[in-house]
Amino acid sequence: MSDATAGPVILVVDDDPALAEMIGIVLRADGLDPVFCGDGSGALDAFRRARPDLVLLDLMLPGLDGISVCERIRAESGTPIIMLTAKSDTADVVKGLETGADDYIVKPFDPKELTARIRARLRPLAVQNGFLQIGDLSIDATGHEVRRGDERIALTPLEFDLLHTLASKPEQVFTREMLLEQVWGYHYKADTRLVNVHVQRLRAKVEKDAENPRIVTTVRGVGYRAGAAV
Amino acid sequence: MSAPSGPRFDAARVPFGLQFAGVRRRFSDAAGSFFRIFRRSLELRIVGITVALSALAIVGTSTYMAYSIGGGLFDARVEQVTNEAARATKAAQSTFDSSTATDAAALSVLQGTVLEEIGAVATSASGIWFRRGPDTPANSSLPEATQGRVDEVVSTALSEQVTTGSLRQYWQSVAVPRSDGVVEPGIVVGSTIDVPQAGVYEMYLLFSLEDVGESLGFVQGTLAIGGVLLLLLIAAVSWVVVQFVISPIRVAAETSRKLAAGHLEERIPVRGDDVLATLAQSFNGMADSLEDQITQLARLSQLQQRFVSDVSHELRTPLTTIRLAGDVLYDRRIGFDAPTARTAELLHTQVERFELLLSDLLEISRYDAHAVDIDREPVNLVRLVEDAIEGVESLAERKGSTITLVAPGGHFEGEMDGRRIRRIVRNLLSNAIEHGEGRPIEVMVDSNEDAVALSVRDHGIGMAPADTARVFDRFWRADPSRQRTTGGTGLGLAISLEDASLHRGALDVWSEKGVGTCFRLTLPRQMDTPFGSSPLPLGPEEDPQ
Repeated sequence: MSDATAGPVILVVDDDPALAEMIGIVLRADGLDPVFCGDGSGALDAFRRARPDLVLLDLMLPGLDGISVCERIRAESGTPIIMLTAKSDTADVVKGLETGADDYIVKPFDPKELTARIRARLRPLAVQNGFLQIGDLSIDATGHEVRRGDERIALTPLEFDLLHTLASKPEQVFTREMLLEQVWGYHYKADTRLVNVHVQRLRAKVEKDAENPRIVTTVRGVGYRAGAAV
Repeated sequence: MSAPSGPRFDAARVPFGLQFAGVRRRFSDAAGSFFRIFRRSLELRIVGITVALSALAIVGTSTYMAYSIGGGLFDARVEQVTNEAARATKAAQSTFDSSTATDAAALSVLQGTVLEEIGAVATSASGIWFRRGPDTPANSSLPEATQGRVDEVVSTALSEQVTTGSLRQYWQSVAVPRSDGVVEPGIVVGSTIDVPQAGVYEMYLLFSLEDVGESLGFVQGTLAIGGVLLLLLIAAVSWVVVQFVISPIRVAAETSRKLAAGHLEERIPVRGDDVLATLAQSFNGMADSLEDQITQLARLSQLQQRFVSDVSHELRTPLTTIRLAGDVLYDRRIGFDAPTARTAELLHTQVERFELLLSDLLEISRYDAHAVDIDREPVNLVRLVEDAIEGVESLAERKGSTITLVAPGGHFEGEMDGRRIRRIVRNLLSNAIEHGEGRPIEVMVDSNEDAVALSVRDHGIGMAPADTARVFDRFWRADPSRQRTTGGTGLGLAISLEDASLHRGALDVWSEKGVGTCFRLTLPRQMDTPFGSSPLPLGPEEDPQ
């Protein structure tokens, strides 16, 4: 259909050839450019070679399991990762999210859900200008950079999105549902663990003392806000 | 009124019969509790029976011993006193025979001498009666004499025997009244004396048996004390012996209790080579085979659950491919000819149904594997029910049912797993719509101090009692021929029941054929405090209208 080189590149890591091919059909139909990798051990090479815009990663893989692959990709890049999982069991999902996956989709899923999730992670950040200041952090929306003084803090696009969303309205308390909608693009009730896990990951990077957060603070029973609690 | 006078006042008002009944009841209560203890404690029972039987034996032997010792002592005393009396009689007779006294004064002196003599011979005699025989004229010159009130105790039968009998001596047991009023045992020995110048006289000698009585009393006391000590010893010994026998039994009982409670590794230590060791060995053998079988069953069940879980997982990957393929076709069905478009539609809906079935199956297998976590959050049940009703409203409209919510209580945030409770409510609602025959459906939410409840009542086809009992069974359908519209999986109520149990709540059903069905979910306010009764009724007789 569309020009294969034109669309964003999606690395599909899945050991089931039929499912991989079917996902490929769905992705191409949506103007995306899929590349494939059939096992865990080759996934990192494929990632380096293809330099994808997003990774679709099956959790159950021969060779190296999905969680480890996720960990290794995250170690060298902030590229969005969406896990494909046959398990909706709490432990696996949370483990995947904690190793740095941005989102997850439980099998079986439908094509619309798949492309919606991918598009949500690929969507170009709304053009934002200028600098935001939160605590001792300065956020450069245009340059996609977060600094503490001269020190540059490396965030994944998702973490940047999360921090930017909170910092853009420091007076507002965001519920988990609001964050799911604005950052992840969910328009229906989804798993609020996504928010919890990524707030923890974000805090680990931007807070001086993650135990005693001052940048992203919790408002008990409601959600999160940027800056110290009043 | 002061406190102590209260009960007294009450007691005075209670009729006597009732008071008596009260006493009797208290007594029978005490007796009852004693018998309960007696029945429950084997050692007490054995010791009690042993002591009772030994006491019977000891009392028997002691009585016999006391009786024969007493008899022996008495016989010996009788022999002693009759000998003494015989010697005294003989001495008196010879004194009278050798005397030449004829006048009253001399005879009186002689009598004094004789009495002294008798006193010297019969040293243990405590009294004497010297009496004229029946044929001796009352005015004979030798007077009657008495010492120690012997005349009061001699019976006419004895004096008849003495005067008419052929033996030289007769004796009789008598009760001697002492001056202080106490009666003591004694023996009177009677004989005749021929006083040459005066005629035949009867002579009675009284001997006290008090010393014999004292000896007998001592023997009896010794026997009684010995018997009591022996009984105590027997009780102690039997207690010790019973402990020897009973402690292994107690160990066995305790072990089997632990075994029954699931500690399959519990065993009885085997000591020695006796019957108790055999008991321990066979018990341990039984426990071994029990443990083997249970472990095997547990492993099989685990394997089976694991299999169900694996199958469900394994099916997901191909199902995802099918789902994607079906949806791609479904999205393009407008370009197909009619039969192919319909095929794509059917594929789409049935894949969806298959997916539901698979996720329910996976959920049930999670419950079977005890791999379920409760995810508690503050939930307002009324709001949750409102949302759920909103979600099924279009379906209810299509079936013609109206859903009304009555919520007198339950407007608070309870700690529960919102996802599971929502699933239960949705399930109950869609069941009510499916089987409600288009008639109104009433939903009620209420709470009391320890529970919050929800009931869903339809006025549809209802079920027979046999069907009602099976309604929570997996894959069970009340009427297999009925056309399905809401596409349930047949696992919904089974999962709902598990969800309710996970909250330590209850899911109850009432149904009557042709009248309708009512499902009621009751959840405890606090998970750890069990609730007493549900705030909502179950069934039609308490229907609000």
